[in-house]
Amino acid sequence: MTEETHIKWLERMEQDSRTKQQAFMNDIARRLKRPRTTEAPTHPYRGAPDYWQEFQWSSVERIDQFTANFQSAGGHVFRMADMDEAKAFIVNKANEMLARYILRQNVSELASLRLEEELADTRVSVWNTNLQEAWKARAAEADIGIVIADYAVAYTGSITVLSSADKGRSVSLLPTALIAIIPLERLKTRLGEVLIDFDEAGQSGLPAGIHFISGPSRSADIENDLTIGVHGPGIVFALLVG
Amino acid sequence: MSQNAAHTKSESNNVKPASVKERADLALNNDFLRKAVRFTTERLRDGKQKAANDHGHWEEWRERGRQIRLHTIAHLDYYLNLFADNARANGTHIHFAATGEEAVKIALEIAQRKQAASVVKSKSMVTEELHLNTALESIDVETIETDLGEYIIQLAGETPSHIIIPAIHKNRYQIAELLSKEAGEELLPETTILAGFVRRKLREKFLEADIGMTGCNFAIAETGSMVLFENEGNARMVTTLPKTQITLMGMERIIPSWSDLEVMATLLPRSATGQKLTVYMSGISGPRRKDDGDGPEEQHIIILDNGRSEQLGDPEFQELLNCIRCGACLNACPVYRHIGGHAYGGTYSGPIGAVLTPALNKNVDQWDDIAGASSLCGACYEACPVKIPLHDMLIYLRRRKVERGYGDKVEGLGMKGFGAIMAKSQRFSNVMKVGRIGQKLLVRDGGIPSKLGPLKGWNNYRIAPKLADESFRESWKGLQEELDKNSREMDPVIQKRMEDLLAKRKLEELEGGAGHD
Ligand code: SF4
Repeated sequence: MTEETHIKWLERMEQDSRTKQQAFMNDIARRLKRPRTTEAPTHPYRGAPDYWQEFQWSSVERIDQFTANFQSAGGHVFRMADMDEAKAFIVNKANEMLARYILRQNVSELASLRLEEELADTRVSVWNTNLQEAWKARAAEADIGIVIADYAVAYTGSITVLSSADKGRSVSLLPTALIAIIPLERLKTRLGEVLIDFDEAGQSGLPAGIHFISGPSRSADIENDLTIGVHGPGIVFALLVG
Repeated sequence: MSQNAAHTKSESNNVKPASVKERADLALNNDFLRKAVRFTTERLRDGKQKAANDHGHWEEWRERGRQIRLHTIAHLDYYLNLFADNARANGTHIHFAATGEEAVKIALEIAQRKQAASVVKSKSMVTEELHLNTALESIDVETIETDLGEYIIQLAGETPSHIIIPAIHKNRYQIAELLSKEAGEELLPETTILAGFVRRKLREKFLEADIGMTGCNFAIAETGSMVLFENEGNARMVTTLPKTQITLMGMERIIPSWSDLEVMATLLPRSATGQKLTVYMSGISGPRRKDDGDGPEEQHIIILDNGRSEQLGDPEFQELLNCIRCGACLNACPVYRHIGGHAYGGTYSGPIGAVLTPALNKNVDQWDDIAGASSLCGACYEACPVKIPLHDMLIYLRRRKVERGYGDKVEGLGMKGFGAIMAKSQRFSNVMKVGRIGQKLLVRDGGIPSKLGPLKGWNNYRIAPKLADESFRESWKGLQEELDKNSREMDPVIQKRMEDLLAKRKLEELEGGAGHD
């Protein structure tokens, strides 16, 4: 017997899986003592309670609440009027922390900061710009990762980043410190305001990775003592810009 | 590999005592365990209480959570089917496994196909349930738990004792000893030093591993996405760095939409750790896209039955499938707080484990044992964010056991297991005495008597009782006496006394200087 190729094996597994899928569903219906449900059932309890869906904070409240929540999770929040201020902050931090490697997403808002010009002694890499580069290793050695948040949520104190070719998941995960720039108009009150967009985008409209980040990586596994930065970034700066 | 024949390495190396009572004796000998379990669970429970109060409308959210879970399970064939189809459209390879053996076989086959040398894992109760680490090691694949607590107990060759805090039973000196051995140098027993070592060590492992393996908190039917909640970032590592990702998921993990996730994301972290949201909440929809620079090239999801579908259509146990594995019932349970997780002897501990383990194993003769280690006080139900009536289920389990003729071993369905455990400790024997009165009175809404008696009502249940069985009648009488149906409300005087006793106990502990802060 010749060795089955991986593709062939995957195909055979898929055939198996589809057959079993039918058996699974038929078995579920039989146990529930009714025929198979093939049409979408009405779901009267979809999403959060009604009162909550109407809940909204003003812009000022959103900023205050995001700040309070993010800080109480151990993160740092700064308010900036514009991107110039954000740039000055990043340059200062990089110098102050003696950062040698910085990794940023490949997005125009960050490119226009022209960080490499200000930070002569720091190597600033841009995610996925050179196909030969070992990007995961670059991320793993980075002192600071810089991202633009796709959303932020005041109520839970969370930043959301979506993956793409230019926005690697590693950028917000592997560096020791993370700086996330949040354009103010992306700051929502509730989690549901962000999640609804993913429902609307549907199966074909989602990126591979959607990540909500609510502070520095933490663990309480050693004697319930809070430890910061056990795997992900131990320091997280959220810059609210606008 | 059958459910019962499958033991992890640690279990077969130092054979576990057979009954809950004996296991509890072991747990009780470990002074640190008792303190740690109580300290942590109380802290988590208080945190939960605060988080629930802060959020407001908690009952409304709980009810919403329950309704979403009920709806999904009632239409599980539709939603699970939809999930599988959408996940395939994302490029995920979906597998169905009716038994644990099938799931293990598929996972091993993938590992062999990929010629994997190592697997990095983030916390997954399902892989524990399947003893997958042992299976992978049997084909020479190194398996590394990357959750800090899981990593520690893996080094110790043990099994987790708490769903949320697996290494709750280890102190930092024991941890320093374990990690020093791993480091080949002496590490000081300081949290930051120990965690720093683990960060460096595991970072290498993440980068060189061939396969990343995860569990799944929720699977979103409408988009075929899987959602993970975590605080450390290791689940993100595991789903970002290795070329192949394998996710093991119980068939009941489904929710319909991302909008429904808002409810689960509100209930789960608050109930588990008192957080508004875990540090990371990640939704993964398929392998990396064509031009992405990271994320797995190949992603597999293995959907597992392994006894779960048995609960479908069973009026007494179907709601078990609503469980979101938050651990709140463990923290609420006075028995768990006292004896810790290892005494339960199964993958799932505490009140949920007491019901789930026998339900998944269909293993009647073990039922009494574990169900006996409960005070039936109803605290687990009160704590449960999706309102699973665990205390009712414990009664059903006891009844079924008696019906199937295993009752003679228990001698009356009362609190024998619990009583034996509590009698071990003088301080707790006081609590116990009050507890005995309290448990009768705490029976919620008269739930137990009205659902279990009068006897003629039993004909409505799926399994006809064997009324001829003498031990059954004796047992029933015992249960009736234990659960005096006239005392539904807890006497406020007794409640006050219990509260005072608990407060006093807390104070004693503080003065005794448990030294955890
Ligand atoms: S039974 Fe309820 S409280 Fe216990 S783990 Fe499951 S969801 Fe949480």
